[in-house]
Amino acid sequence: MDKWTQTAWLIPLFPLTAFLILTALGRSYRRAGVIIGSLGSLGAFAYSLFILVDRLANSPLDYNKSFEWLAIGSYSLRIGFEITNLTSLMLSVVAFISFLVQLYSAGYMKNDERITVFYGYVSLFTFSMLGLVLSDNLLSLYIFWELVGVCSFLLIGFWFTLPKARAAAKKAFIVTRIGDVGLLLAILLLFWYMPEHALDFTTIQSVFDGQSGAITNGITTLIALLIFVGAIGKSGQFPLHVWLPDAMEGPTPISALIHAATMVAAGVFLIARTFDIFQDSAAAMETIAYVGGFTAIFAATVALAQNDLKRILAYSTVSQLGYMMMALGLGSLTGGIFHLITHAFFKALLFLGAGSVIHAVHTQNINEMGGLSSKMRVTTWTFAIGALALSGIPPFSGFWSKDVILAVAWDTNPLLFVIGLATAFITALYMSRLFILVFRGRPSAASAGANESPAVMTLPLIVLAVFAAASGFIETPWNGWFGKWLTDGPEEVHASGVAIVGSVAVGLLGLYIGWLVYGKKRLSLAARQEKKPWFVNMLERGWYIDELYIALFVKPLKLLSSMLLAFDTHVVGGVVRFAGAAVSTAGRTAARLQNGQAQTYGLAAIIGFVIIVVAIVGRRFLP
Amino acid sequence: MLPSYLTMAAILFCIGLYGALVKRNAVVVLLSLELMLNAVNLNLIAFSKYGVVPSLTGQIFSLFTITVAAAEAAIGVAILIALFRMRGTVNVDEFDKMRR
Amino acid sequence: MFNIAFTGEFTAFFVFSAIMICGAVLMISLDKVVHMVISMAAVFLGLAGMFVLLEAEFVAFVQVLIYAGAVSILMIFGIMMTKHHAGETEPAKPIHQSLAAIAALSLFGVLFYAIRTTTFPEPAVFQQSEDNTMAIGELLYTGYVIPFELLSVLLTVAFIGAIVLAKKEAD
Repeated sequence: MDKWTQTAWLIPLFPLTAFLILTALGRSYRRAGVIIGSLGSLGAFAYSLFILVDRLANSPLDYNKSFEWLAIGSYSLRIGFEITNLTSLMLSVVAFISFLVQLYSAGYMKNDERITVFYGYVSLFTFSMLGLVLSDNLLSLYIFWELVGVCSFLLIGFWFTLPKARAAAKKAFIVTRIGDVGLLLAILLLFWYMPEHALDFTTIQSVFDGQSGAITNGITTLIALLIFVGAIGKSGQFPLHVWLPDAMEGPTPISALIHAATMVAAGVFLIARTFDIFQDSAAAMETIAYVGGFTAIFAATVALAQNDLKRILAYSTVSQLGYMMMALGLGSLTGGIFHLITHAFFKALLFLGAGSVIHAVHTQNINEMGGLSSKMRVTTWTFAIGALALSGIPPFSGFWSKDVILAVAWDTNPLLFVIGLATAFITALYMSRLFILVFRGRPSAASAGANESPAVMTLPLIVLAVFAAASGFIETPWNGWFGKWLTDGPEEVHASGVAIVGSVAVGLLGLYIGWLVYGKKRLSLAARQEKKPWFVNMLERGWYIDELYIALFVKPLKLLSSMLLAFDTHVVGGVVRFAGAAVSTAGRTAARLQNGQAQTYGLAAIIGFVIIVVAIVGRRFLP
Repeated sequence: MLPSYLTMAAILFCIGLYGALVKRNAVVVLLSLELMLNAVNLNLIAFSKYGVVPSLTGQIFSLFTITVAAAEAAIGVAILIALFRMRGTVNVDEFDKMRR
Repeated sequence: MFNIAFTGEFTAFFVFSAIMICGAVLMISLDKVVHMVISMAAVFLGLAGMFVLLEAEFVAFVQVLIYAGAVSILMIFGIMMTKHHAGETEPAKPIHQSLAAIAALSLFGVLFYAIRTTTFPEPAVFQQSEDNTMAIGELLYTGYVIPFELLSVLLTVAFIGAIVLAKKEAD
């Protein structure tokens, strides 16, 4: 237990300080803003790296420190932080990705007027996520959870002059809010049913792990499902995935941050953190597995038909998060977190690479790109590594993490194994399509003048490419070291020939078919664009989920609200207006008495006097 | 006889009051005020004879009242003349400075 | 109240009150301001008569002197100085007028009710002195000398004030 671990609460303070300084400085300090923001993340990363190294080397016990925050009667609410293997790993990854994104943004956002504000938001975002990871109880986790939501709202709507960005920010906020309600209800239920109303993870673990029977099975399932609803919202799972593709309206570095390190990781992390609750409820686990599996294949099919570079990656994120959920639902915490880590690296890489491309060609439509490989060598190579990792081609990281999940699925649930394989195939297909359309072929008009991005942008790409290529080796089918370290359980060796062969085969097959279709032009470009079968349209629109929601929820809600508005303006407002009009009419009438003429005043005085006298005298006639 | 005198005074007072409240000409309003003061005088004198403790005090008091009323009439007419010089009218309802 | 014997005092009271009410009503209802002042003088004279009935000869004398004489003349001067075609046009405020009438009538009702329901105790026998004027003069210069002097100051102030007010502004 070294001093780094004991002072881990300092980690989120680095970006928070950066945020406060940036807010205080204002917009004029552009260069200082970049440096301060990046230093905040770098400091947090260095600090969490020390902790991670310590835990890797010594594997000490979990460290928990808290202080009493509120005392209500006999109940005391404690707040604090906890360092486990999982949190130390998450801290490092979050701070690392955040630092790279900020480094990259120095180039990408160079000409933006509000770059200092941007760095402030990113720092706040990083702070919230680090705080969320460090939280030792559900309540403080929820606070940071909401902060993450606010920051994503701010950053997605960063270019708030664009109506689409505004709409996307609102959508992200509202849709994730639905999930947040679930999480809040889960916390309330836990508070109600837990012994001594404890909300910290250690107690939750001991209560649910020990099969103590303190909480009945039905309630456990309910709590687990409600937590999962929260995770659905944050991690963009079906049916609350709709905000994630729209969130592409934000700056591209933010997409990388949201998709790799902060926002969507929060949902998976939440489930991993409360995994003991889920393990108590088979029904909840099954739900998670199937929702995850469905989301994986559903989003992959949608990604296949998108033409917007960033939207393809967004749907790919939804799909990969489905993978993680599926792994968690199948009981493999290792698989879920492992894929979360590798995905963080290669998806951040892909988004930053996409940002580099967009920076160069000023369009997001992949049909207008092409032939960039000769002009942007670093971007091309690093993007290729990311794409191969995402497609699950060995020896890149995505292969190993996918393999863990597929191996677990092969052991427990063949149906989900098939779904996983299909998803892997489609993933490979759309990535090859994306890569070929963007980087291969003849240069298009838009890509003619494209140049390689500056070093401050390519450096993060190279670093991330190294990690995307190599980070998979911490857990291989023959070496279960990572899972043992993470879960503190027995070393699982899950060498499953079927899984390995299957995933490699579908990955290569996907790439090959993609190359056939898009690379060798077996299907001419003209034919692709003119003939759009109905299902392509359907996929392009994302299975019409948005339209369905609009018809199912938005329209009726708007109708209801317009009815309520009418009620408010005409009935409630009418009463209010009547009251106001009555008073002002009375006032006007009374004001006419004040006509400045002494005789009127005298008359009023006399009438008042007579009334008073009559009232006093008249009392004697009353019984 | 006392109630008769008091009733007489009340009649005079009320007529004066009505005139003071209604008449437009400021001179007439002043006259009505004099009428009301006279009604009061009648009361004082009546009580000085028929009161519980009859004495000359009532008459003295009414003398004072008459003096004050005479001063009031003089000042009032002077004010009216000044007003007339300024505004060109002595109609009471054209004086509404108190409104503003 | 109707079984009162027609004594001399009652007859005189009746005549005087008839004069006064007529005068007052005429003052209210006449059109020309000069006529109003003259009917007002009738009221003042009737009142002086009533004072004589009440054995207050000196006050009656003063009443005739000041009211019927000075005040009436002052008012006529006031009319002449302000409005040469002195006439009272009917006020165009029927609501105000009727409200004032109601107020005055109800005030009279209240007063009348109070007078009628009060039982006045029988007064002690008041021994009038031989010379009313002398008695008042003695009282004024003994018991009421300070109010009397104050009143003379008041009259002086009023007299100066009236001059200042009525003086032409242009000077």
